[in-house]
Amino acid sequence: MNFPGSGIIKGMAVTALNIVGSYFDRAHAKRLITEQYPEERPKLAEASRSFPFLVFDGDDPEKGIRCVACKICEKECPPQCIYIVKDTDANGKPIMRPKVFDIDISVCMGCQICVESCPFESIRMDNIYEVSGYDRFAPLVLHKPQLLKSNAYYHGIRPTEAAATDARIEAARLRKEAAAKAAAAKVAAAKAAAAAKAAGEKAAETKPTQPE
Amino acid sequence: MNFFALLKDFLLQFLGLFKNLETLPVECMRLLREFLTKLGELCGITMPQWALDTVSALVLIVAILVTFLVLFALMSVFERKLLARAQNRYGPNRVGPFGLFQPVADGIKMLTKEDLVPRAADKVVHYLAPIVMVAPALMLPVFLPFGRGMVAVDLSVGILAFFALGAGTELAVFMAGWASNNKYSILGAMRAIAQMISYELPLVTSALVVALVAGTLSPTGIAEAQSGYFCGFLPKWFVCTPWGFAACVLFYIGALSESNRCPFDLPEGESEIIAGHLTEYSGFKYAIFFMAEYVGMFAVNGLLVTLFLGGYNAPFPFLEWVPTWCWFFIKLWAVALSMVWVRTTLPRFRIDQMMQFAWKFLLPMSFVTLLAAAAWYYAGQGPKAWMSPAAWSASALIVLLSYLLLGTFCFTRRHSATNRRYLFSE
Amino acid sequence: MHALFQKIAALPWDQLPQWLFLIPGLLMLLAAFAAVCLRNLIHSALCVVLSFICLGVLFMALGAEFVGFVQLLVYVGAVAMLILFAILLTPASEVQASNNPLSNFRLSSALHAAAGAAVSFLVLAGLLAAIAFSPRAANAELPAQPAAAPVALIGENLLTYTLLPLLGIAVLLTAALVGAALIAKEDSKS
Repeated sequence: MNFPGSGIIKGMAVTALNIVGSYFDRAHAKRLITEQYPEERPKLAEASRSFPFLVFDGDDPEKGIRCVACKICEKECPPQCIYIVKDTDANGKPIMRPKVFDIDISVCMGCQICVESCPFESIRMDNIYEVSGYDRFAPLVLHKPQLLKSNAYYHGIRPTEAAATDARIEAARLRKEAAAKAAAAKVAAAKAAAAAKAAGEKAAETKPTQPE
Repeated sequence: MNFFALLKDFLLQFLGLFKNLETLPVECMRLLREFLTKLGELCGITMPQWALDTVSALVLIVAILVTFLVLFALMSVFERKLLARAQNRYGPNRVGPFGLFQPVADGIKMLTKEDLVPRAADKVVHYLAPIVMVAPALMLPVFLPFGRGMVAVDLSVGILAFFALGAGTELAVFMAGWASNNKYSILGAMRAIAQMISYELPLVTSALVVALVAGTLSPTGIAEAQSGYFCGFLPKWFVCTPWGFAACVLFYIGALSESNRCPFDLPEGESEIIAGHLTEYSGFKYAIFFMAEYVGMFAVNGLLVTLFLGGYNAPFPFLEWVPTWCWFFIKLWAVALSMVWVRTTLPRFRIDQMMQFAWKFLLPMSFVTLLAAAAWYYAGQGPKAWMSPAAWSASALIVLLSYLLLGTFCFTRRHSATNRRYLFSE
Repeated sequence: MHALFQKIAALPWDQLPQWLFLIPGLLMLLAAFAAVCLRNLIHSALCVVLSFICLGVLFMALGAEFVGFVQLLVYVGAVAMLILFAILLTPASEVQASNNPLSNFRLSSALHAAAGAAVSFLVLAGLLAAIAFSPRAANAELPAQPAAAPVALIGENLLTYTLLPLLGIAVLLTAALVGAALIAKEDSKS
């Protein structure tokens, strides 16, 4: 039925049904789509990323750290938010381990270039998003202890990528082992050959003394 | 008899008052005066009349102010919750149970914000504008009868007084807009004043219709004229008559516009002119503007309830055990929440549409209701019109015919080509 | 303490309402004076509005609520807005640049003051004469309370004795409205 003003009445009916329906309608479970944040948390996509962290193997962060302080990421980082100092041993000789590893996440732009450039599968992107502090500076600079997270954690937040990384590391380790084995075999073979040769020479030397 | 005995005596009397809720507020005032007189006797002086009058007036003022400020606070929550529900959201539900303490949080936020005054502003006028805005708005509820015998100022020209004080709003809006020295502010103020002046005409005319039939300008008299029932149980509210219904709708539209509510929120249309005359106001001054708007809205709604919805009268005889002041506030909330409902539904007018609507439809229509009310009054011989078929048919015919004619002339309806499908509402 | 209470209570408080009219009265005079003296036109206009409001309050204090509220409704709600908008829509530079014919008369400030005083004296004399010769002044006995239903009385008078002037004013105002609309319309076309 159409009469002047009927459109308004129809529209009012639509909103009224929606208001009442939002309280009583259970058919559409996802009708109220608002996420009640602190209680309900968003299920993050596996590839979602925020800031980098450092992966370590095993249980001891210091022992299992993969980073070798090669400083490639420090050089590659576009906003230059990474700061690394190489560790030294008792004699003052630099060793392949970071003494200081800082990331200023107030500067970091989450570009993931550090991850792409790391040859040791050591730096990876985290998906934390509740990072805040009472100060603009100190609380937002993450130091090595805060940055170090276990491989298990990495598996927890992004299983596919972590599995691929582990497979790569494993493959590299196997390759290395194979190479080492081959080298060892080569060395052994060479040794054996040398030994054989030495034995032969010895035999040749002793041969004349041997009666035919 | 010492002070504590007196206090105890009156506290007991006060508790005794709760046996009859209907007369509770009136009896409270009487008891207060009695208490003060006795207290004076205790101190050895006879309490003069003016002192009693002053104290009871102050108590009355505080009671009305607190009531309307609580209404404002609750309205700000319920409005947001209803709006959210219409959009399939939850709305505020964090502060307190069901988010009911949200206004407290809002108040703290508003109070602690910086109070900015533009450098080029006219400082005095900029400062005075919120005061000029809020003072008349807080005065408006005084003229409304909240229940039988419950009116703070019983004027014989109450309705005129209501509109006269409401006129102060325009002045405040102008002051705010001009003093801010900002083009958006002045544009918003011009829009607001144009809108208020245009919509005051149908508003006042439709109130006049009621005054014509009730034969009085006093809100109490009008509410009393709507007491009683016809056909045994149907309420004698003016909204039940053809002319009253039309006038009620006109008054409702006028009230929406006067309180700057959607779809008439052009003065602060945020997508066009930021916040209109409120642009340069922040912190507590902004809160005061906001408060004045909401209290003014409740006051106009209260007038609507008084004029058309039977004031404090119960709708049916079997519901008369509910105190009259409860009925007033129930109706007040119903009208206020219906305004939220309108707000969820209708988009904002364009300024030319708004002006056309006021001058080409509302104003002629309100004159027609005047005619229909006169027809009702004369065909039905005054108060007997409720049972007169001639009165009903004459006024209904006038209203309906002119509505259809005016409606078809004013609104060229355009139909959308496709049938819309709604996800949840069908 | 008790003596003080009693002394305060014994003061002639009952006469207070009769003297309270001084507040709006003096405020009205002050606002009117400020309206003439202030440099800023908008401020003067707002002061005029304040004196209108005080006048309305004075009416109400005299028991003429209807007239008081009509004063507020018409003067604060309509006339004041008209004045304010007229000031607002007139660019300040235009006023200064225009050739005011009066500015050619190089009257001294003393002469200005004298002319103003003469005009105000004439107005005051007229008002006093009107009050002195009005029929009410003859018996000088004002009724203590206004009539029971002043609104009904005013309404009846408007529709009986003063019907013709009322209609005349209505026609005049309608003509003015139509004329204003016509002028505005022509202006927008050109």
